[in-house]
Amino acid sequence: MSVSTHRRASGATLRGRLEGVDRSLPVWVATALAIVALMALPLAWLGYMSVGAEQGTTFGHYREVFRDEALRKALWHTLVLAFWTGLVSVALGAPLAWLTARTNVPGKKLIRALVMASFVTPPFLGAFAWVMLAGPNAGLLNRMWRDLTGATDPLLDIFTMSGLVFVVTMYTFPYVYIMLANTLALIASDLEDAAAIHGAGRLGVALTITLPLVAPAIVSGFILAVLQALALFGSPAILALPAGFHTITTQVWSFFHFPPKVEQAAAVSIPLLLATALLLLMQKRLLGRRGYATVGGKGGQRRTIALGIWRYPALAAVFVVMAGSIFLPYAVLAKAAFARAWAQPLTWSNVTLANFTFTLFEYSSTKAAILNTVELGLATATMGAGLAALLSYVTNRRLVVGHQLVAFLALAPVVIPGVVLAVALFIAYTRPPFVLYGTLAILFVAYLTKEMPVGYAQSDATFRSIPPDLEEAGRILGAGRLRVLRDVTAPLARSGIIAAWCFIFIGVIRELSASIILFTPNTRVMSVVIFDLKEEGQFGAIAVLGLAMLAMTFATVSVVQAALGRDVLGVKE
Amino acid sequence: MIRRILSLTGLVALMLAVAVPVLAQDARVEAAKKEGKVVWYTSLVLPSAEKVAKLFEAAYPGVKVEVHRTGSERILQRVMQELTANIKNADVVHTSDAGHFVFLKDKKLLMPYTPAGVDKFPPGFKDKDGYYFGLRATVTAIFYNTKLMSAAEAPKTWKDLLDPKWKGKLVTAHPSYSGVVATHVLALEKQYGWDYFKQLGQNKLMIVQSAADTPTTVVSGERIVAVNGGEYSAYQLKKKGNPIEIIYPKEGVPLIVSPTAITSFAPHPNAAKLFTDFTFTREIQQVMADSEGLYTGHPDVKYPTDKPKLGDLKLLSADAEELQKRNEEIKKRFVEFFGA
Amino acid sequence: MPGVAIKDLARHYGGVAAVDGLSLDVKPGELVALLGPSGCGKTTTLRLVAGFLKPESGEIWVGDRCLSSPSAVVPPERRRMAMIFQSYALWPHMTVAQNVAYGLRFKRGLPRAEREKKVGEILRVVQLAGYEARYPGELSGGQQQRVAVARALVVEPEILLLDEPLSNLDANLREEMRFEIRRLHEEFAITTLYVTHDQGEAMVISDRIAVLERGRVAQIGTADELFHQPRTRFVAEFIGKTNLVDGMAVKPDAIAHGPLTFRVASDTLVPGAHVALSIRPHHIELVAPNAPKEDGVNILQGSIERASFLGETVDYQVAVKDSDLVVRVAAPAVARLRPGGLVGLRIPRAACVVLAEG
Ligand SMILES: Nc1ncnc2c1ncn2[C@@H]1O[C@H](COP(=O)(O)OP(=O)(O)O)[C@@H](O)[C@H]1O
Ligand SMILES: [Mg+2]
Repeated sequence: MSVSTHRRASGATLRGRLEGVDRSLPVWVATALAIVALMALPLAWLGYMSVGAEQGTTFGHYREVFRDEALRKALWHTLVLAFWTGLVSVALGAPLAWLTARTNVPGKKLIRALVMASFVTPPFLGAFAWVMLAGPNAGLLNRMWRDLTGATDPLLDIFTMSGLVFVVTMYTFPYVYIMLANTLALIASDLEDAAAIHGAGRLGVALTITLPLVAPAIVSGFILAVLQALALFGSPAILALPAGFHTITTQVWSFFHFPPKVEQAAAVSIPLLLATALLLLMQKRLLGRRGYATVGGKGGQRRTIALGIWRYPALAAVFVVMAGSIFLPYAVLAKAAFARAWAQPLTWSNVTLANFTFTLFEYSSTKAAILNTVELGLATATMGAGLAALLSYVTNRRLVVGHQLVAFLALAPVVIPGVVLAVALFIAYTRPPFVLYGTLAILFVAYLTKEMPVGYAQSDATFRSIPPDLEEAGRILGAGRLRVLRDVTAPLARSGIIAAWCFIFIGVIRELSASIILFTPNTRVMSVVIFDLKEEGQFGAIAVLGLAMLAMTFATVSVVQAALGRDVLGVKE
Repeated sequence: MIRRILSLTGLVALMLAVAVPVLAQDARVEAAKKEGKVVWYTSLVLPSAEKVAKLFEAAYPGVKVEVHRTGSERILQRVMQELTANIKNADVVHTSDAGHFVFLKDKKLLMPYTPAGVDKFPPGFKDKDGYYFGLRATVTAIFYNTKLMSAAEAPKTWKDLLDPKWKGKLVTAHPSYSGVVATHVLALEKQYGWDYFKQLGQNKLMIVQSAADTPTTVVSGERIVAVNGGEYSAYQLKKKGNPIEIIYPKEGVPLIVSPTAITSFAPHPNAAKLFTDFTFTREIQQVMADSEGLYTGHPDVKYPTDKPKLGDLKLLSADAEELQKRNEEIKKRFVEFFGA
Repeated sequence: MPGVAIKDLARHYGGVAAVDGLSLDVKPGELVALLGPSGCGKTTTLRLVAGFLKPESGEIWVGDRCLSSPSAVVPPERRRMAMIFQSYALWPHMTVAQNVAYGLRFKRGLPRAEREKKVGEILRVVQLAGYEARYPGELSGGQQQRVAVARALVVEPEILLLDEPLSNLDANLREEMRFEIRRLHEEFAITTLYVTHDQGEAMVISDRIAVLERGRVAQIGTADELFHQPRTRFVAEFIGKTNLVDGMAVKPDAIAHGPLTFRVASDTLVPGAHVALSIRPHHIELVAPNAPKEDGVNILQGSIERASFLGETVDYQVAVKDSDLVVRVAAPAVARLRPGGLVGLRIPRAACVVLAEG
């Protein structure tokens, strides 16, 4: 009797043990390991390469790099570019955000759509367009200026540092706009009213209440803009090189010119990486401060400020900015696409479809590049959105030990500028055990890594909004974790994941700074072809490909907006 | 219309010309067809390269040409970068930097192959060991925009360009991209020393990459004068009616012979040989002279009459060995004087 | 129909012990309420039982199956349980019928027709026939709650877990649903753990109540036992109103509080020990001042400080003479007494419950 009871009990425990094994665990562990591998291998190689010598280690590469006069200049130019871009982005983005969030400026929807368009326009296309607009002699604006005024000096010279800052800013100010518009939308007017009741004037309220409340958002927008400018390759390559100066990114790129100096590229990359990481840390600190949390509350009513007679002048000012980022560049691209000679007026004899026929049918690289781009876009977006979804699921539901590390790694690529990532990947994947260079796979890995933060942030927000109860309700009724993921979580997360997919896709098709180092002739993508054509001066073909890229981008954007039911910028009405 | 018919008949004639001969050729054509394609890393400007490829594909249906066009220096970069990852992609390599071929030959990356018919080419077009041969030649010259400047005002000599009055009006291509310009820089350095470039650098030149982009920059009016560039590109633009004129300085013009070679690792060796032979036929060499404005080593090629004969020009040349040895120096100095 | 045995369960969050050595036996077919203030570990206990959490120590047994122990946890989907969540956790992208049918998908060998039949039946039981095609967003709170009940019951679980299922309903509906849940329990007789912080609810619904305090069971028993024989100060205060009197045992059956002496419902006190008494307000009778002594009854004198009319009863606060005690008395509303008046307090010995912990 007692024996049989004993056996029953221990049998039950054993069965309990077996039943206790969570069959979905391998999936989560594999997911976590994937992100570790994705990040760790290239970064380890990068660090190793920068100190690697024939024997042992050396800081010789660093010494060489920082002793080099040309490099120090490039570093200085990068700092100047980044700082001014940040500043001007705030100067443009902040008033725009205020106008749309707080005032009765007309056409808010249109303004937001235009800011969104600047946000998704590949900056190198903008730079290219501005070459045609504001080249000091041939630039269309300068010609008009000369014709109108009879002046001999150009109005604008885009091949200067200020020209570069201007063009980069045109596509960077949306970062400030987004940060600020979302914050302003959360500050209740009663906070401001409270100050007004205590006798503060209008300006006083703005200075003592509103400004301190939005200051973290402004500074963090500034930092985001600086980060963009630090990492950018295309615009400096198009505008700074003709003017005879380098930035760090173009310098890293030129280290790959024959004979390649990969070690030096690595040695320059590491400080750039650290600088970026430091800036992001600052931004995080700022946003994590207590004061900002009160802004995050639902808050009360928000009053719109009547601009009175300034309504239309304000709108006009907005349009001036948008002319710089959208209207003029798009128009000149369209003109170049249809013109025999872009610098000549678009008369009948100058109109042609030859650029289209050449680019789309005769130029053998086009088709392959478009196919590669689409293929990579689809693959990266699908894999990326999937992996990001799994990762954010793992971290949200704390499915593995070290989930904080997983979250950190998924967001870590934010601090890695494209060229740095490319250098790291180039080093990692041109040698065993994984030789990926020369295949689309290396670009795929690069894009997957680079876009992971975007995908992760989007799906993290999605999963946060799905209460765990809903999954637990499925579990207790008999569904395994993976089954619940399929039946409950996935359908609820769908639109969020579609949006992540689209964000990644948009990011991939415009990617230049990593691609330019990682491509081989067989694995060229659209952005690289555009860059190659730029080096050869084939303006018409660039314009055609550029328009194709914009068309793909905007098609994707409209899918996101449909999926999310709101605009891409995340700015509430 | 008439031009189109002419070029069509030209094409038919060409097809006949290559289709008829030698029977041994048949075996090679078959082998090439089996390989299916030839991969051509070329610095010949894009439209010209695509045209040669189309002609070849028309002559040998079933063998495709994969054109990978970029600047000479980038071609070497890519070939070497690919080899570090053990990628063997290029069959035929063609750049305007003869130094590359010295380098590649030393590294045993070239296949000795003498294309049919090159025995009649002048010595400057032939490697003594039979690895590479000059497919085409051009000179570098000064170009200016005829709408923005009269012939009288235009600079006449290389030294004229040093005049500070040209400040902000000049454009140069980049020796880190263009083999034509790398060769050009060396040829002028030997003539005038680095000092020439140091002074030129004072004039704040606009820097483009390709030697084909200096004439387009002049045509667009962005700069008035190009201090170097592929004369054939300028010639093509001029022939199409663009406001550009070419000046061949009396002190001499650097001659750039652009060699071609088959790689030792060519994945499609038969197609590569077939293609290389094809590019050295009189017909293709004539196409290069006619529509592209290039010079060639082929003795039977007739040149357009609106262009000086090579024999009439004083030619400055740069030795391939030296070009190879001083490759890094050229690029470094250029960056030093011009900024980027 | 198995019962549930929870042995010495513990679970921490950071430094906080959410569940701290909790033991509990639920008999087959019994409904036990876990009652306690917010933050005492009710939800954590329930989630441990459901298998969403792994215990740090202790075991959870259902029948002869050990479902949770620090070394192994049978995942929720293989525990044959069902749960009703505070938020209902209905899936917004599924119709009522789909929500209810979901658990049946995992019953192997159940034909589709059978499944639909069961869904129809259970929806009739919860009075939601005709709502099959609605989405949860199109239902009222009470209806959503009933969908959640139907979804849990339709799978015929061995164990049913409910986490404050009524707390999102308005007061009237809450009253009604208490009886509804009790009725369903009587109909299906599923072993049930019911979490609530509302003692009234626990009393109406459950067979037994386990009062939780800081992650442990303070006392378990029927509503009657808890009310009349609370073992701790915490239980006495949490279940209904009470008067607590601290004192020192002077005899095996009496304690002293200052000059006052109470005869108590115990005769095993150790003289000199500190003791606490719980006296329910409605066990105290107001009598005329200077009422005669009786055997086994404590008579005290006091003056009325405040009287609040509550309808059926009047709530008096009486200051006891010669002491700092203010006791509350719930007296019938027939004879109204004014503040300031002198009264006698008649407290039977049986009403003075000695608490186990002072
Ligand atoms: N996920 C969690 N993380 C940290 N602390 C928790 C978590 N869940 C519960 N707690 C803490 O554990 C204690 C018990 O919580 P809970 O079981 O939810 O209480 P109840 O349901 O009785 O209100 C509380 O102190 C609570 O703050
Ligand atoms: Mg709870």
